[in-house]
Amino acid sequence: MITDSAEPEYSPLLKTAAVSKSFGGLKALSDISFEVPKGIVQGLIGPNGAGKTTLFNVITGAYLPDSGSISFLGKEIRGKKLHQIVKMGIARTFQNVELFESMTVIENVMVGCHVRTRSGFWGAVSRIPKVLREEKMIRDRAEELLAFVGLEKESGKKSSDLPFGWQRLLEIARALASDPLLLLLDEPAAGLNAVETRQLGELLGKIRDLGITLVLVEHDMSLTMKISDNILVLDRGCILARGTPREIQSDEAVMSAYLGKSK
Amino acid sequence: MSIPKILIYGFFVTAVLLIGYFVENYYYLQVLTFIGINTLLALGLNMLMGYAGQISLGHGAFYGIGAYTTAILTVNYQFSPWLSLPCAILLAVTVAFLVGLPTLKLSGYYLGMGTLGFGMIAFIIFREWTSLTGGASGFVGIPSLEAGFISFSSARNYFFLVWAVVLINLIVCGRMIQSRMGRALRAIHDSEKAAMAVGINTMHLKLQIFVFSAAVGALAGFLYAHYISFISPGTFDFLASVRMVTMVVIGGMASIWGALLGAALLTLLPEWLHAFADFEMIVYGLIMMIVMILLPRGLTRGLLDLYEKAGEGTGKGHDN
Repeated sequence: MITDSAEPEYSPLLKTAAVSKSFGGLKALSDISFEVPKGIVQGLIGPNGAGKTTLFNVITGAYLPDSGSISFLGKEIRGKKLHQIVKMGIARTFQNVELFESMTVIENVMVGCHVRTRSGFWGAVSRIPKVLREEKMIRDRAEELLAFVGLEKESGKKSSDLPFGWQRLLEIARALASDPLLLLLDEPAAGLNAVETRQLGELLGKIRDLGITLVLVEHDMSLTMKISDNILVLDRGCILARGTPREIQSDEAVMSAYLGKSK
Repeated sequence: MSIPKILIYGFFVTAVLLIGYFVENYYYLQVLTFIGINTLLALGLNMLMGYAGQISLGHGAFYGIGAYTTAILTVNYQFSPWLSLPCAILLAVTVAFLVGLPTLKLSGYYLGMGTLGFGMIAFIIFREWTSLTGGASGFVGIPSLEAGFISFSSARNYFFLVWAVVLINLIVCGRMIQSRMGRALRAIHDSEKAAMAVGINTMHLKLQIFVFSAAVGALAGFLYAHYISFISPGTFDFLASVRMVTMVVIGGMASIWGALLGAALLTLLPEWLHAFADFEMIVYGLIMMIVMILLPRGLTRGLLDLYEKAGEGTGKGHDN
Protein backbone atom coordinates (compact mmCIF):
# COMPACT_ATOMS: atom_id res chain seq x y z
CA MET A 1 0.00 0.00 0.00
CA ILE A 2 0.93 3.61 -0.04
CA THR A 3 3.09 4.69 2.82
CA ASP A 4 5.05 7.82 3.28
CA SER A 5 6.73 7.88 6.63
CA ALA A 6 8.47 11.17 5.87
CA GLU A 7 5.15 13.01 5.98
CA PRO A 8 4.41 14.83 9.20
CA GLU A 9 1.24 13.59 10.79
CA TYR A 10 -0.72 16.78 10.56
CA SER A 11 -0.41 17.13 6.81
CA PRO A 12 -3.77 16.96 5.06
CA LEU A 13 -4.57 14.06 2.74
CA LEU A 14 -5.69 16.37 -0.02
CA LYS A 15 -4.93 20.01 -0.42
CA THR A 16 -5.77 22.41 -3.20
CA ALA A 17 -4.16 25.81 -3.38
CA ALA A 18 -5.65 28.60 -5.47
CA VAL A 19 -7.02 26.23 -8.12
CA SER A 20 -8.74 27.97 -11.04
CA LYS A 21 -10.35 26.55 -14.13
CA SER A 22 -12.18 28.36 -16.93
CA PHE A 23 -14.12 27.09 -19.89
CA GLY A 24 -13.96 29.80 -22.49
CA GLY A 25 -15.27 32.88 -20.74
CA LEU A 26 -16.87 30.94 -17.91
CA LYS A 27 -14.92 30.79 -14.72
CA ALA A 28 -15.89 27.40 -13.34
CA LEU A 29 -13.49 27.54 -10.40
CA SER A 30 -11.65 30.55 -9.08
CA ASP A 31 -8.97 30.38 -6.42
CA ILE A 32 -10.22 27.33 -4.64
CA SER A 33 -8.07 26.51 -1.64
CA PHE A 34 -9.14 23.85 0.80
CA GLU A 35 -7.79 20.92 2.72
CA VAL A 36 -9.21 17.54 3.50
CA PRO A 37 -7.70 15.91 6.58
CA LYS A 38 -7.39 12.15 6.61
CA GLY A 39 -10.33 10.13 7.83
CA ILE A 40 -13.12 12.68 7.61
CA VAL A 41 -16.19 13.05 5.47
CA GLN A 42 -15.95 16.30 3.60
CA GLY A 43 -19.27 17.57 2.27
CA LEU A 44 -19.26 19.72 -0.82
CA ILE A 45 -22.45 21.59 -1.55
CA GLY A 46 -23.62 24.42 -3.71
CA PRO A 47 -26.27 25.25 -6.28
CA ASN A 48 -26.17 23.73 -9.76
CA GLY A 49 -23.29 25.14 -11.74
CA ALA A 50 -21.34 26.01 -8.61
CA GLY A 51 -18.35 24.03 -9.86
CA LYS A 52 -18.56 20.93 -7.68
CA THR A 53 -18.20 18.41 -10.47
CA THR A 54 -15.51 20.53 -12.10
CA LEU A 55 -13.60 20.43 -8.84
CA PHE A 56 -13.88 16.63 -8.86
CA ASN A 57 -12.65 16.51 -12.42
CA VAL A 58 -9.71 18.69 -11.57
CA ILE A 59 -8.74 16.63 -8.52
CA THR A 60 -8.95 13.32 -10.39
CA GLY A 61 -6.92 14.64 -13.30
CA ALA A 62 -9.73 14.59 -15.86
CA TYR A 63 -9.25 18.35 -16.29
CA LEU A 64 -6.01 20.22 -15.98
CA PRO A 65 -6.52 23.35 -13.87
CA ASP A 66 -5.44 26.67 -15.41
CA SER A 67 -3.53 27.55 -12.28
CA GLY A 68 -3.01 26.52 -8.70
CA SER A 69 -1.73 23.30 -7.23
CA ILE A 70 -3.28 20.10 -5.95
CA SER A 71 -1.39 17.89 -3.59
CA PHE A 72 -2.25 14.46 -2.35
CA LEU A 73 -0.25 12.86 0.46
CA GLY A 74 2.02 15.88 0.20
CA LYS A 75 2.83 15.23 -3.47
CA GLU A 76 1.85 17.47 -6.34
CA ILE A 77 -0.62 15.65 -8.58
CA ARG A 78 -1.55 18.45 -10.93
CA GLY A 79 -0.76 17.35 -14.47
CA LYS A 80 -0.52 13.68 -13.59
CA LYS A 81 -2.43 11.20 -15.73
CA LEU A 82 -5.72 9.83 -14.48
CA HIS A 83 -4.41 6.32 -14.07
CA GLN A 84 -1.46 7.56 -12.05
CA ILE A 85 -3.77 9.45 -9.74
CA VAL A 86 -6.00 6.42 -9.24
CA LYS A 87 -2.93 4.40 -8.42
CA MET A 88 -1.91 6.94 -5.79
CA GLY A 89 -5.23 6.32 -4.09
CA ILE A 90 -7.97 8.59 -5.38
CA ALA A 91 -11.16 6.98 -6.68
CA ARG A 92 -14.43 8.51 -7.79
CA THR A 93 -17.99 7.84 -8.80
CA PHE A 94 -20.04 9.76 -11.33
CA GLN A 95 -23.15 11.85 -11.07
CA ASN A 96 -24.85 9.84 -13.83
CA VAL A 97 -23.52 6.38 -12.90
CA GLU A 98 -20.95 5.21 -15.44
CA LEU A 99 -20.94 1.43 -15.35
CA PHE A 100 -19.54 -1.00 -17.87
CA GLU A 101 -22.96 -1.99 -19.05
CA SER A 102 -22.21 -5.02 -21.17
CA MET A 103 -20.27 -6.59 -18.32
CA THR A 104 -21.55 -8.49 -15.34
CA VAL A 105 -21.82 -7.02 -11.88
CA ILE A 106 -18.76 -8.83 -10.60
CA GLU A 107 -16.73 -8.01 -13.70
CA ASN A 108 -17.39 -4.33 -13.09
CA VAL A 109 -15.81 -4.63 -9.66
CA MET A 110 -13.00 -6.79 -11.03
CA VAL A 111 -12.11 -4.04 -13.49
CA GLY A 112 -11.94 -1.77 -10.47
CA CYS A 113 -8.98 -3.82 -9.20
CA HIS A 114 -7.02 -2.87 -12.32
CA VAL A 115 -4.49 -0.53 -10.73
CA ARG A 116 -3.67 -2.95 -7.92
CA THR A 117 -2.92 -5.84 -10.26
CA ARG A 118 -0.35 -6.44 -12.96
CA SER A 119 -0.83 -9.25 -15.43
CA GLY A 120 -1.03 -8.28 -19.08
CA PHE A 121 -1.11 -9.91 -22.48
CA TRP A 122 1.49 -12.63 -21.90
CA GLY A 123 -0.01 -13.46 -18.56
CA ALA A 124 -3.45 -13.76 -20.10
CA VAL A 125 -2.22 -16.08 -22.83
CA SER A 126 0.14 -18.23 -20.75
CA ARG A 127 -2.06 -18.48 -17.64
CA ILE A 128 0.94 -19.29 -15.49
CA PRO A 129 0.18 -19.96 -11.81
CA LYS A 130 1.08 -16.43 -10.77
CA VAL A 131 -1.55 -15.05 -13.14
CA LEU A 132 -4.17 -17.55 -12.00
CA ARG A 133 -3.47 -16.65 -8.40
CA GLU A 134 -3.88 -12.98 -9.20
CA GLU A 135 -7.09 -13.71 -11.08
CA LYS A 136 -8.44 -15.57 -8.06
CA MET A 137 -7.39 -12.74 -5.79
CA ILE A 138 -9.23 -10.26 -8.02
CA ARG A 139 -12.36 -12.39 -7.96
CA ASP A 140 -12.23 -12.87 -4.20
CA ARG A 141 -11.72 -9.19 -3.63
CA ALA A 142 -14.61 -8.34 -5.95
CA GLU A 143 -16.90 -10.79 -4.15
CA GLU A 144 -15.88 -9.34 -0.83
CA LEU A 145 -16.69 -5.83 -2.02
CA LEU A 146 -20.03 -6.89 -3.48
CA ALA A 147 -20.91 -8.36 -0.12
CA PHE A 148 -19.75 -5.14 1.51
CA VAL A 149 -22.25 -3.07 -0.48
CA GLY A 150 -24.89 -5.83 -0.31
CA LEU A 151 -24.91 -6.96 -3.93
CA GLU A 152 -23.37 -10.41 -3.50
CA LYS A 153 -26.48 -12.10 -4.88
CA GLU A 154 -26.36 -10.10 -8.11
CA SER A 155 -22.81 -10.92 -9.10
CA GLY A 156 -23.62 -12.77 -12.33
CA LYS A 157 -26.19 -10.32 -13.65
CA LYS A 158 -25.51 -7.84 -16.37
CA SER A 159 -24.82 -4.53 -14.66
CA SER A 160 -27.32 -2.64 -16.78
CA ASP A 161 -30.07 -4.98 -15.55
CA LEU A 162 -29.72 -3.79 -11.96
CA PRO A 163 -32.21 -1.27 -10.60
CA PHE A 164 -30.79 2.22 -10.51
CA GLY A 165 -30.16 2.33 -6.78
CA TRP A 166 -28.10 -0.83 -6.97
CA GLN A 167 -26.15 0.51 -9.90
CA ARG A 168 -25.02 3.30 -7.60
CA LEU A 169 -23.89 0.78 -5.00
CA LEU A 170 -22.08 -1.18 -7.68
CA GLU A 171 -20.27 1.93 -8.80
CA ILE A 172 -19.14 2.51 -5.22
CA ALA A 173 -17.94 -1.10 -4.96
CA ARG A 174 -16.00 -0.66 -8.18
CA ALA A 175 -14.38 2.50 -6.86
CA LEU A 176 -13.45 0.75 -3.61
CA ALA A 177 -11.77 -2.02 -5.60
CA SER A 178 -8.88 0.32 -6.38
CA ASP A 179 -8.13 0.48 -2.62
CA PRO A 180 -8.49 4.24 -2.46
CA LEU A 181 -7.41 6.45 0.40
CA LEU A 182 -9.73 9.14 -0.85
CA LEU A 183 -13.10 8.50 -2.44
CA LEU A 184 -14.92 11.23 -4.30
CA LEU A 185 -18.66 10.66 -4.58
CA ASP A 186 -20.59 12.81 -7.03
CA GLU A 187 -24.21 12.99 -5.85
CA PRO A 188 -24.48 9.37 -4.75
CA ALA A 189 -28.05 9.84 -3.51
CA ALA A 190 -29.41 11.39 -6.70
CA GLY A 191 -32.31 9.31 -7.97
CA LEU A 192 -32.53 7.20 -4.83
CA ASN A 193 -35.70 6.86 -2.75
CA ALA A 194 -35.82 7.54 0.98
CA VAL A 195 -35.02 3.98 2.02
CA GLU A 196 -32.14 3.70 -0.42
CA THR A 197 -30.78 7.04 0.71
CA ARG A 198 -30.80 5.90 4.33
CA GLN A 199 -28.98 2.68 3.36
CA LEU A 200 -26.49 4.72 1.39
CA GLY A 201 -25.84 6.83 4.47
CA GLU A 202 -25.09 3.69 6.45
CA LEU A 203 -22.78 2.41 3.72
CA LEU A 204 -20.87 5.68 3.64
CA GLY A 205 -20.43 5.42 7.40
CA LYS A 206 -19.01 1.91 6.96
CA ILE A 207 -16.61 3.17 4.30
CA ARG A 208 -15.42 5.93 6.59
CA ASP A 209 -14.90 3.35 9.33
CA LEU A 210 -12.48 1.56 6.99
CA GLY A 211 -10.34 4.67 7.21
CA ILE A 212 -11.20 5.92 3.74
CA THR A 213 -11.59 9.66 3.47
CA LEU A 214 -14.71 10.77 1.64
CA VAL A 215 -15.52 13.87 -0.33
CA LEU A 216 -19.21 14.01 -0.99
CA VAL A 217 -21.09 16.22 -3.41
CA GLU A 218 -24.73 15.93 -2.51
CA HIS A 219 -28.01 17.75 -2.87
CA ASP A 220 -29.75 15.71 -0.23
CA MET A 221 -29.23 18.07 2.69
CA SER A 222 -30.30 15.81 5.50
CA LEU A 223 -27.83 13.14 4.35
CA THR A 224 -25.02 15.63 3.87
CA MET A 225 -25.54 17.35 7.18
CA LYS A 226 -25.79 14.06 9.02
CA ILE A 227 -22.73 12.38 7.64
CA SER A 228 -20.27 15.20 6.95
CA ASP A 229 -17.65 16.31 9.44
CA ASN A 230 -16.88 19.39 7.42
CA ILE A 231 -18.71 21.19 4.68
CA LEU A 232 -17.45 23.40 1.93
CA VAL A 233 -19.99 25.56 0.12
CA LEU A 234 -19.28 26.58 -3.45
CA ASP A 235 -21.17 29.17 -5.39
CA ARG A 236 -20.36 30.23 -8.94
CA GLY A 237 -16.87 28.80 -8.73
CA CYS A 238 -15.94 30.47 -5.44
CA ILE A 239 -15.86 29.25 -1.87
CA LEU A 240 -18.84 30.78 -0.13
CA ALA A 241 -18.44 29.22 3.28
CA ARG A 242 -16.79 26.40 5.15
CA GLY A 243 -17.31 24.83 8.52
CA THR A 244 -19.11 22.15 10.43
CA PRO A 245 -22.64 21.25 9.36
CA ARG A 246 -24.01 23.25 12.27
CA GLU A 247 -22.05 26.34 11.28
CA ILE A 248 -23.11 26.02 7.66
CA GLN A 249 -26.76 25.67 8.57
CA SER A 250 -26.68 28.97 10.41
CA ASP A 251 -24.50 30.82 7.91
CA GLU A 252 -26.27 33.89 6.50
CA ALA A 253 -24.52 33.88 3.15
CA VAL A 254 -25.28 30.21 2.59
CA MET A 255 -28.89 30.73 3.58
CA SER A 256 -29.42 33.42 1.00
CA ALA A 257 -27.35 31.98 -1.81
CA TYR A 258 -28.16 28.37 -1.57
CA LEU A 259 -30.75 27.21 0.87
CA GLY A 260 -33.04 30.13 0.09
CA LYS A 261 -34.29 32.52 2.70
CA SER A 262 -36.54 30.62 5.04
CA LYS A 263 -37.74 33.62 6.97
CA MET B 1 -27.16 -21.92 -20.87
CA SER B 2 -23.50 -21.49 -21.67
CA ILE B 3 -21.88 -24.52 -23.22
CA PRO B 4 -18.59 -25.66 -21.64
CA LYS B 5 -15.59 -24.35 -23.53
CA ILE B 6 -13.94 -27.74 -23.85
CA LEU B 7 -17.00 -29.02 -25.73
CA ILE B 8 -16.90 -26.13 -28.16
CA TYR B 9 -13.22 -26.58 -28.86
CA GLY B 10 -13.68 -30.32 -29.05
CA PHE B 11 -16.41 -29.88 -31.62
CA PHE B 12 -14.21 -27.45 -33.53
CA VAL B 13 -11.24 -29.82 -33.64
CA THR B 14 -13.42 -32.77 -34.62
CA ALA B 15 -15.01 -30.77 -37.41
CA VAL B 16 -11.63 -29.67 -38.76
CA LEU B 17 -10.26 -33.23 -38.63
CA LEU B 18 -13.32 -34.74 -40.30
CA ILE B 19 -13.38 -32.15 -43.04
CA GLY B 20 -9.66 -32.44 -43.58
CA TYR B 21 -9.76 -36.22 -43.95
CA PHE B 22 -12.94 -36.67 -45.90
CA VAL B 23 -13.06 -33.73 -48.26
CA GLU B 24 -11.23 -34.85 -51.37
CA ASN B 25 -12.16 -32.03 -53.69
CA TYR B 26 -9.23 -29.67 -54.13
CA TYR B 27 -11.48 -26.68 -54.71
CA TYR B 28 -13.43 -27.23 -51.48
CA LEU B 29 -10.24 -27.56 -49.50
CA GLN B 30 -9.00 -24.33 -50.98
CA VAL B 31 -12.17 -22.45 -50.07
CA LEU B 32 -12.03 -23.88 -46.56
CA THR B 33 -8.42 -22.80 -46.22
CA PHE B 34 -9.37 -19.29 -47.27
CA ILE B 35 -12.08 -19.30 -44.64
CA GLY B 36 -9.36 -20.09 -42.12
CA ILE B 37 -7.13 -17.26 -43.30
CA ASN B 38 -10.05 -14.83 -43.28
CA THR B 39 -11.02 -16.02 -39.82
CA LEU B 40 -7.58 -14.99 -38.61
CA LEU B 41 -8.01 -11.56 -40.15
CA ALA B 42 -11.45 -11.12 -38.61
CA LEU B 43 -10.29 -12.47 -35.26
CA GLY B 44 -7.50 -9.92 -34.90
CA LEU B 45 -9.69 -7.06 -36.01
CA ASN B 46 -12.52 -8.21 -33.76
CA MET B 47 -10.30 -7.83 -30.72
CA LEU B 48 -9.74 -4.22 -31.73
CA MET B 49 -13.26 -3.39 -32.93
CA GLY B 50 -15.53 -5.66 -30.97
CA TYR B 51 -13.71 -5.63 -27.67
CA ALA B 52 -11.79 -2.37 -27.50
CA GLY B 53 -14.36 -0.53 -29.63
CA GLN B 54 -11.80 1.05 -31.96
CA ILE B 55 -12.38 0.92 -35.70
CA SER B 56 -9.65 0.38 -38.25
CA LEU B 57 -10.27 0.81 -41.96
CA GLY B 58 -6.66 0.10 -42.81
CA HIS B 59 -6.06 -3.41 -41.57
CA GLY B 60 -5.55 -4.70 -45.10
CA ALA B 61 -2.16 -3.03 -44.80
CA PHE B 62 -0.98 -5.43 -42.10
CA TYR B 63 -2.26 -8.37 -44.12
CA GLY B 64 -0.17 -7.02 -46.99
CA ILE B 65 2.88 -6.35 -44.83
CA GLY B 66 2.82 -9.97 -43.69
CA ALA B 67 2.51 -11.27 -47.23
CA TYR B 68 5.05 -8.98 -48.89
CA THR B 69 7.66 -9.25 -46.15
CA THR B 70 7.76 -13.01 -46.35
CA ALA B 71 7.63 -12.93 -50.16
CA ILE B 72 10.56 -10.55 -50.42
CA LEU B 73 12.65 -12.25 -47.75
CA THR B 74 12.14 -15.80 -49.00
CA VAL B 75 12.48 -15.08 -52.73
CA ASN B 76 15.00 -12.24 -52.89
CA TYR B 77 17.06 -13.12 -49.84
CA GLN B 78 16.50 -16.88 -49.60
CA PHE B 79 15.29 -16.70 -46.02
CA SER B 80 13.64 -19.79 -44.61
CA PRO B 81 9.91 -19.02 -44.28
CA TRP B 82 10.13 -19.89 -40.59
CA LEU B 83 12.63 -17.08 -40.21
CA SER B 84 10.71 -14.65 -42.38
CA LEU B 85 7.57 -15.20 -40.28
CA PRO B 86 8.95 -13.49 -37.16
CA CYS B 87 10.39 -10.77 -39.40
CA ALA B 88 6.99 -10.18 -41.00
CA ILE B 89 5.27 -10.03 -37.64
CA LEU B 90 7.94 -7.79 -36.20
CA LEU B 91 7.60 -5.36 -39.08
CA ALA B 92 3.80 -5.30 -38.79
CA VAL B 93 4.09 -4.74 -35.04
CA THR B 94 6.55 -1.90 -35.50
CA VAL B 95 4.44 -0.23 -38.16
CA ALA B 96 1.30 -0.67 -36.04
CA PHE B 97 3.04 0.91 -33.09
CA LEU B 98 4.20 3.91 -35.09
CA VAL B 99 0.84 4.36 -36.82
CA GLY B 100 -1.20 3.66 -33.70
CA LEU B 101 0.65 6.11 -31.50
CA PRO B 102 -0.81 9.20 -33.20
CA THR B 103 -4.00 7.76 -34.73
CA LEU B 104 -5.37 6.02 -31.64
CA LYS B 105 -5.63 9.40 -29.97
CA LEU B 106 -8.50 9.89 -32.39
CA SER B 107 -11.86 8.28 -31.94
CA GLY B 108 -14.96 7.42 -33.95
CA TYR B 109 -15.05 8.70 -37.51
CA TYR B 110 -11.70 10.38 -37.15
CA LEU B 111 -9.98 7.15 -36.20
CA GLY B 112 -11.71 5.56 -39.20
CA MET B 113 -10.34 8.26 -41.47
CA GLY B 114 -6.85 8.08 -39.97
CA THR B 115 -6.56 4.32 -40.41
CA LEU B 116 -8.12 4.57 -43.87
CA GLY B 117 -5.35 6.95 -44.87
CA PHE B 118 -2.76 4.56 -43.55
CA GLY B 119 -4.27 1.68 -45.52
CA MET B 120 -4.19 3.76 -48.70
CA ILE B 121 -0.54 4.65 -48.21
CA ALA B 122 0.41 1.02 -47.62
CA PHE B 123 -1.48 -0.02 -50.75
CA ILE B 124 0.30 2.62 -52.84
CA ILE B 125 3.64 1.40 -51.53
CA PHE B 126 2.79 -2.21 -52.47
CA ARG B 127 1.78 -1.09 -55.95
CA GLU B 128 4.38 1.53 -56.76
CA TRP B 129 7.60 0.27 -55.20
CA THR B 130 8.03 -1.98 -58.21
CA SER B 131 11.66 -2.91 -57.66
CA LEU B 132 10.80 -4.42 -54.27
CA THR B 133 7.21 -5.61 -54.53
CA GLY B 134 6.86 -6.35 -58.19
CA GLY B 135 4.33 -3.54 -58.47
CA ALA B 136 0.93 -3.97 -60.02
CA SER B 137 1.90 -7.15 -61.84
CA GLY B 138 2.53 -8.84 -58.54
CA PHE B 139 5.15 -11.02 -56.91
CA VAL B 140 5.61 -14.58 -58.10
CA GLY B 141 7.39 -17.70 -56.98
CA ILE B 142 6.82 -17.60 -53.24
CA PRO B 143 7.94 -21.01 -51.95
CA SER B 144 5.54 -23.33 -50.19
CA LEU B 145 6.06 -24.24 -46.57
CA GLU B 146 7.87 -27.26 -45.25
CA ALA B 147 8.55 -28.45 -41.75
CA GLY B 148 10.98 -31.33 -41.56
CA PHE B 149 9.48 -34.15 -43.60
CA ILE B 150 6.01 -32.58 -43.73
CA SER B 151 5.37 -30.63 -46.88
CA PHE B 152 2.58 -28.12 -46.83
CA SER B 153 2.41 -27.96 -50.59
CA SER B 154 -0.56 -30.34 -50.53
CA ALA B 155 -3.92 -28.63 -50.15
CA ARG B 156 -4.87 -30.98 -47.34
CA ASN B 157 -1.80 -30.32 -45.25
CA TYR B 158 -2.11 -26.61 -45.74
CA PHE B 159 -5.72 -26.79 -44.68
CA PHE B 160 -4.64 -28.45 -41.43
CA LEU B 161 -1.86 -25.95 -40.90
CA VAL B 162 -4.13 -22.94 -41.34
CA TRP B 163 -6.83 -24.33 -39.10
CA ALA B 164 -4.33 -25.28 -36.42
CA VAL B 165 -3.17 -21.67 -36.43
CA VAL B 166 -6.80 -20.55 -36.26
CA LEU B 167 -7.36 -22.83 -33.27
CA ILE B 168 -4.33 -21.42 -31.46
CA ASN B 169 -5.53 -17.90 -32.14
CA LEU B 170 -9.04 -18.70 -30.96
CA ILE B 171 -7.58 -19.96 -27.70
CA VAL B 172 -5.27 -16.97 -27.36
CA CYS B 173 -8.10 -14.51 -27.96
CA GLY B 174 -10.45 -16.44 -25.71
CA ARG B 175 -7.92 -16.34 -22.90
CA MET B 176 -7.23 -12.70 -23.45
CA ILE B 177 -10.90 -11.78 -23.13
CA GLN B 178 -11.21 -13.70 -19.86
CA SER B 179 -8.34 -11.86 -18.26
CA ARG B 180 -7.50 -8.63 -16.55
CA MET B 181 -6.49 -7.22 -19.92
CA GLY B 182 -9.67 -8.39 -21.64
CA ARG B 183 -11.87 -6.89 -18.96
CA ALA B 184 -10.04 -3.61 -19.30
CA LEU B 185 -10.57 -3.71 -23.08
CA ARG B 186 -14.27 -4.32 -22.71
CA ALA B 187 -14.37 -1.54 -20.15
CA ILE B 188 -12.95 0.89 -22.72
CA HIS B 189 -15.58 -0.26 -25.16
CA ASP B 190 -18.42 0.36 -22.69
CA SER B 191 -17.27 3.67 -21.25
CA GLU B 192 -13.89 5.16 -21.87
CA LYS B 193 -14.61 7.80 -19.24
CA ALA B 194 -15.24 5.23 -16.53
CA ALA B 195 -12.34 3.09 -17.73
CA MET B 196 -10.00 6.01 -17.19
CA ALA B 197 -11.59 6.74 -13.82
CA VAL B 198 -10.80 3.24 -12.55
CA GLY B 199 -7.21 3.77 -13.57
CA ILE B 200 -6.94 2.00 -16.91
CA ASN B 201 -4.27 3.50 -19.12
CA THR B 202 -6.61 3.51 -22.09
CA MET B 203 -4.12 4.83 -24.64
CA HIS B 204 -1.57 2.18 -23.75
CA LEU B 205 -4.11 -0.60 -23.91
CA LYS B 206 -5.59 0.53 -27.20
CA LEU B 207 -2.13 0.62 -28.68
CA GLN B 208 -1.40 -2.86 -27.36
CA ILE B 209 -4.49 -4.35 -28.93
CA PHE B 210 -3.90 -2.49 -32.19
CA VAL B 211 -0.44 -4.00 -32.34
CA PHE B 212 -1.81 -7.43 -31.50
CA SER B 213 -4.39 -7.28 -34.26
CA ALA B 214 -1.70 -6.13 -36.69
CA ALA B 215 0.42 -9.15 -35.75
CA VAL B 216 -2.48 -11.53 -36.38
CA GLY B 217 -3.13 -9.77 -39.71
CA ALA B 218 0.51 -10.24 -40.71
CA LEU B 219 0.33 -13.90 -39.74
CA ALA B 220 -2.68 -14.30 -42.02
CA GLY B 221 -0.76 -12.51 -44.79
CA PHE B 222 2.15 -14.91 -44.32
CA LEU B 223 -0.13 -17.95 -44.61
CA TYR B 224 -1.82 -16.47 -47.65
CA ALA B 225 1.42 -15.72 -49.50
CA HIS B 226 2.91 -19.20 -49.00
CA TYR B 227 -0.37 -20.83 -49.99
CA ILE B 228 -1.04 -18.95 -53.19
CA SER B 229 2.66 -18.41 -54.02
CA PHE B 230 1.65 -15.29 -55.94
CA ILE B 231 0.56 -11.98 -54.46
CA SER B 232 -0.50 -8.70 -55.96
CA PRO B 233 -1.41 -5.38 -54.38
CA GLY B 234 -5.14 -5.72 -55.18
CA THR B 235 -5.50 -8.33 -52.43
CA PHE B 236 -4.52 -5.77 -49.79
CA ASP B 237 -6.36 -2.71 -51.01
CA PHE B 238 -9.02 -0.60 -49.34
CA LEU B 239 -11.70 -3.13 -50.22
CA ALA B 240 -9.76 -5.80 -48.37
CA SER B 241 -9.85 -3.64 -45.24
CA VAL B 242 -13.55 -3.05 -45.68
CA ARG B 243 -14.14 -6.76 -46.16
CA MET B 244 -12.37 -7.41 -42.86
CA VAL B 245 -14.57 -4.89 -41.09
CA THR B 246 -17.63 -6.45 -42.71
CA MET B 247 -16.64 -9.92 -41.52
CA VAL B 248 -16.41 -8.63 -37.97
CA VAL B 249 -19.71 -6.78 -38.11
CA ILE B 250 -21.63 -9.53 -39.90
CA GLY B 251 -20.22 -12.26 -37.70
CA GLY B 252 -20.88 -10.33 -34.56
CA MET B 253 -18.75 -7.83 -32.72
CA ALA B 254 -17.14 -8.95 -29.52
CA SER B 255 -17.42 -12.64 -30.26
CA ILE B 256 -14.49 -14.82 -31.23
CA TRP B 257 -16.80 -17.31 -32.94
CA GLY B 258 -18.39 -14.40 -34.77
CA ALA B 259 -15.08 -13.93 -36.55
CA LEU B 260 -15.35 -17.48 -37.83
CA LEU B 261 -18.97 -17.09 -38.95
CA GLY B 262 -18.34 -13.73 -40.60
CA ALA B 263 -15.27 -15.01 -42.40
CA ALA B 264 -17.10 -18.13 -43.54
CA LEU B 265 -20.03 -16.16 -44.92
CA LEU B 266 -17.90 -13.59 -46.69
CA THR B 267 -15.66 -16.24 -48.20
CA LEU B 268 -18.47 -18.55 -49.29
CA LEU B 269 -20.93 -16.00 -50.64
CA PRO B 270 -18.85 -14.92 -53.64
CA GLU B 271 -18.25 -18.59 -54.46
CA TRP B 272 -21.93 -19.44 -54.34
CA LEU B 273 -22.93 -16.32 -56.16
CA HIS B 274 -20.89 -17.09 -59.27
CA ALA B 275 -24.11 -18.57 -60.57
CA PHE B 276 -25.62 -15.09 -60.70
CA ALA B 277 -22.84 -13.98 -63.05
CA ASP B 278 -23.38 -10.32 -63.78
CA PHE B 279 -25.71 -9.84 -60.86
CA GLU B 280 -23.26 -11.30 -58.37
CA MET B 281 -22.41 -8.05 -56.61
CA ILE B 282 -26.04 -7.00 -56.41
CA VAL B 283 -27.10 -10.24 -54.76
CA TYR B 284 -24.06 -10.05 -52.47
CA GLY B 285 -24.99 -6.54 -51.39
CA LEU B 286 -28.61 -7.52 -50.86
CA ILE B 287 -27.68 -10.45 -48.64
CA MET B 288 -25.44 -8.21 -46.55
CA MET B 289 -28.26 -5.71 -46.16
CA ILE B 290 -30.77 -8.37 -45.19
CA VAL B 291 -28.43 -9.86 -42.59
CA MET B 292 -27.80 -6.46 -41.05
CA ILE B 293 -31.49 -5.54 -41.01
CA LEU B 294 -32.64 -8.84 -39.51
CA LEU B 295 -29.65 -9.47 -37.24
CA PRO B 296 -28.22 -6.05 -36.48
CA ARG B 297 -25.95 -7.44 -33.79
CA GLY B 298 -24.37 -9.93 -36.15
CA LEU B 299 -24.81 -13.61 -36.87
CA THR B 300 -23.58 -15.03 -33.56
CA ARG B 301 -25.69 -12.82 -31.32
CA GLY B 302 -28.62 -12.97 -33.73
CA LEU B 303 -28.64 -16.76 -33.85
CA LEU B 304 -28.33 -16.95 -30.07
CA ASP B 305 -31.27 -14.56 -29.71
CA LEU B 306 -33.35 -16.69 -32.06
CA TYR B 307 -32.39 -19.78 -30.08
CA GLU B 308 -33.36 -18.13 -26.80
CA LYS B 309 -36.64 -16.91 -28.26
CA ALA B 310 -37.41 -20.42 -29.44
CA GLY B 311 -36.67 -21.65 -25.92
CA GLU B 312 -39.12 -19.18 -24.45
CA GLY B 313 -41.67 -20.09 -27.10
CA THR B 314 -41.83 -23.66 -25.83
CA GLY B 315 -42.82 -22.31 -22.47
CA LYS B 316 -39.66 -23.44 -20.72
CA GLY B 317 -37.99 -20.07 -20.65
CA HIS B 318 -34.95 -19.33 -18.57
CA ASP B 319 -34.54 -18.48 -14.97
CA ASN B 320 -31.91 -15.79 -14.96
